[in-house]
Amino acid sequence: MSILSNKSEKIFIYLFFAIGLFIPLFLEGNTFFINKFSTIIILAIFVMSLDYLVGRTGLITLGHAMFYGLGGYIFTILAPEYEAVNFWVYTFYVMLISGFIALIVGLIVLRTSGIYMIMITLALAQMSFYFFADSIEYGGQDGLFVYIKPETSIFGLNFLDLENETHFYYLCLLSLFNCFVFFKIIMNSSFGRVIDALKENPDRATALGYNIFHFRLIAYVLASSLAAYAGYLFALQFGFVNPSMMSWDVSATALVMALLGGLGTIYGAIIGSFVYEGLHYFIEHLTEYWMFFMGALIIALVLTLKNGMAGFLNTLSGGKRS
Amino acid sequence: MNNKKKIFLSVLPATVAATIISMSTGSMAADSDPIKVGVMLPFSGVYAGLGESTRNGLKQAIKEQGNNIAGRPVEFIEMDTEAKPARAPEITSSLVDNQQADFVIGPVHSGVAMGMIKSIKGKDSIMIIPNAGANAATGAFCQPNVFRTSFSSWQTAFPMGKEAYDMGYKKIVTMSWNYGFGKESLEAFNESFTKAGGEVIKEMLVPFPKTEFQSYLTEIASINPDAVFVFFAGGGAVKFVKDYDAMGLKGKIPLLGSGFLTEGTTTAQGPAAEEVITTLHYADALDIPKNKHFRQDYETLYGKPADLFAVQGYDAGQLIAQAVTATQGNTSDKAALIEQMEQLEIDSPRGAFHFSKSHNPIQTIYLRKVVDGQNTVVKVAHENLEDPARGCRL
Amino acid sequence: MDTSLFLVQLLNGVQYGLLLFLIASGLTLVFGVMGILNLAHGSMYMIGAYLAYYFTTLTDSFLLAFIISGSIALVIGIIIERFLIIHLYKRDHLDQVLLTVGLIFIFNATQSFVWGNDPLGIEVPELLSGSIRLTDIVEYPVYRLFISLLCLLVAATMYFTINKTRLGMMIRAGESDRAMVENLGVDISKLFTIVFAIGVFLASLAGIVSVPIVSLVPGMGEHVLISCFVVVVIGGLGSIKGAFVAALIVGIADTYASVLLPQISSMSIYLLMALILLVKPQGLFKN
Repeated sequence: MSILSNKSEKIFIYLFFAIGLFIPLFLEGNTFFINKFSTIIILAIFVMSLDYLVGRTGLITLGHAMFYGLGGYIFTILAPEYEAVNFWVYTFYVMLISGFIALIVGLIVLRTSGIYMIMITLALAQMSFYFFADSIEYGGQDGLFVYIKPETSIFGLNFLDLENETHFYYLCLLSLFNCFVFFKIIMNSSFGRVIDALKENPDRATALGYNIFHFRLIAYVLASSLAAYAGYLFALQFGFVNPSMMSWDVSATALVMALLGGLGTIYGAIIGSFVYEGLHYFIEHLTEYWMFFMGALIIALVLTLKNGMAGFLNTLSGGKRS
Repeated sequence: MNNKKKIFLSVLPATVAATIISMSTGSMAADSDPIKVGVMLPFSGVYAGLGESTRNGLKQAIKEQGNNIAGRPVEFIEMDTEAKPARAPEITSSLVDNQQADFVIGPVHSGVAMGMIKSIKGKDSIMIIPNAGANAATGAFCQPNVFRTSFSSWQTAFPMGKEAYDMGYKKIVTMSWNYGFGKESLEAFNESFTKAGGEVIKEMLVPFPKTEFQSYLTEIASINPDAVFVFFAGGGAVKFVKDYDAMGLKGKIPLLGSGFLTEGTTTAQGPAAEEVITTLHYADALDIPKNKHFRQDYETLYGKPADLFAVQGYDAGQLIAQAVTATQGNTSDKAALIEQMEQLEIDSPRGAFHFSKSHNPIQTIYLRKVVDGQNTVVKVAHENLEDPARGCRL
Repeated sequence: MDTSLFLVQLLNGVQYGLLLFLIASGLTLVFGVMGILNLAHGSMYMIGAYLAYYFTTLTDSFLLAFIISGSIALVIGIIIERFLIIHLYKRDHLDQVLLTVGLIFIFNATQSFVWGNDPLGIEVPELLSGSIRLTDIVEYPVYRLFISLLCLLVAATMYFTINKTRLGMMIRAGESDRAMVENLGVDISKLFTIVFAIGVFLASLAGIVSVPIVSLVPGMGEHVLISCFVVVVIGGLGSIKGAFVAALIVGIADTYASVLLPQISSMSIYLLMALILLVKPQGLFKN
């Protein structure tokens, strides 16, 4: 597998997916933990798409949750209320429509850069938050419900039952795997190399005849529609969507996870999501004032780890900075 | 802190064991096994104060039973919802599927309630809502295993419409945050006020959770209606009442509201809250023996005065205690338990109530006025008011 | 809308805008000089408000509480800069984001632990508690006018300090060329400490003066933070003058939108920001 760039990444990815494949066997019947893992994996997909955008293309957004929420809403609004639709068909719809929205949004926000881009993405996300929160037909602050989960047959073959927590877990794990491989392939393609060059030195890339704007726009659309896919999975898991999915602190938390994991490393997104959610879970059970310890931990991690957890693992396994 | 630690000690080993050894916890409840009560309330964020009061009330009711109902101890498992709807299904699943809680108490916030109901539907746990007033919780979304010891938004605002008309107000401006609870309150008020013959000449919806009210108050001043009916709660209610006074409107245009306008907020509102008239199913100064006892005990236990949220939590505790006593400690047959709950009469500090078909309290609504920083009862606004439970098929 | 009403609404807008400026000025100052985006700025507003509440109830004097809380805020600013921010100057913007998010968590937990979660408030100080009659039905609270006056005073002081004093000269130099400042023999680390402490002080000052007219609730800092962002971005990050103009625009726009366009009033300031950034991608007053 040449798409894995260093030793620590190799070890982590093999170990993670190997454990991921077999963990439901050890959690037999414990639907809570299976659900919890599914939730974190969905989050990891969302964080991964953000990680690519921020870490690889250098486009910093504080409005990524807009697409996460949109993914959920697009499905809930489009699907008929009392009829099971096909999962794969709606995956296509959700990604297509959100991709189209990302194209329009991208045309606007990519005109700015740096801190200004952070702010304009924030503004747009807040606008869509208020659009859904104030809307009567889309459930307002209380959100919308998914009454019937989709069926997953391909050519009449039906092997996944989304009502079954374990099946849903495997769907999430598969999605995460595909998402990871997808980003790694992109990073190793000529497209990915241009993106890397753009981030290192935009002027040089322009001089070489690349249209920066087009490349950035494509990356933005890709990352946004994958974020929407994650939101779609979230809506399916618990059967409801809510404007709070789009609120700015969802974007900020995802950014924190990406940074914790190691920005631009892609697999760091998985580490970041699991570490953050794991810490949250345990500290929350320790004390009502969990926020205090969570905050202190985050600060300690920023001050001690220069390239996130992935950077730390890399140093551990004796590799150089990638 | 202390009881948090206890919970940690009881929860953590269980979860660790479940993760590592993957032992399935026994689901057959022996007679002396604890009754598991999951508590899903906001302990951080804007609604944290409400969560704390609710929990205090709940624990007081269980304490009155000597922490022991029909020979079984009670175990609390507490989870912080942070009032975030997105977290609701996950936490509910943790309590219902993982901890196999017999009862789940929560939440405060209506958005969270919707997520919880969705996840508890058809499960072997009984949910008791100690606050969230969304009409749909015991309306379109009503479930056999969901009860509510608080109110529906409709109940708290409907009686005010007729009262306002009887006070001689014909043209009224209504105002609230633009979210479910607020809009439902305005609708219910509008329904009875229009039926009585009054007219709502303007409805103003403020984006939630904005508290910059100056421009709206100026607008009200220019319209100069007979009275104003508003829904605000918590910090927003404090701010609104103070601003209303500071703009000099209080003496000129009477301020009416759903009870939450002056609930748990009068200390912070100070003199600005005096004379404000509201309707609600409770008042601190309600003059019945049960209320006096309750408030005395609460103050001894927690060192501060009880509020509405404490009452609602207390009644959730009473409901559990009475129901489990009636089934002689049997909590494994949920259908039998639900049947008992439906027939109970709860001796609440707000006055006795029982449940409607849709599991919402049939209760008396009081007309209240703030006097010397306390909500005093002017009269009964509507006796034994039952929510219409629109859309419920129970 | 008749003329007198229109003017009262304008007053509302200006008054709200001036308060927004007070909150946002510290954020833009710190960013302009140090290049640090302090997300915990809203938390400092909250802490200032709670401190003022605490000392007012303790000493029975708002003025005394004002002085004590302001001093504590300065000390908190110095501590944060000396022990935490100092490690991040050579690091990415994003590491600063991460660190300051951590600070938000800590301040929120501290607030909840120390002061609890019930809404709190104090009365307007006796001296400023009256109202001025504007029209036959509308009165205007004196305290709000006092806040506006204070905000104008702060704006004037900042203008004077930056343009006419040695500290201001260093600040201006720090904005444009850091290396040059160091070559001139200015202790840049001391300058940064001072600027950061002033930034924190300004945020808490806004919190302190707001106490009598707002209710203190958990999470009040985050609501403020977002409005603050909007102001700072419209004005042009780092520009004090820009923040002043933008704050007035946002204050007035928000006020009129809430009355004239209630359907989109919640989105109005974000819409305004998006539109302005489309025309001027770096804000009105680029630094």
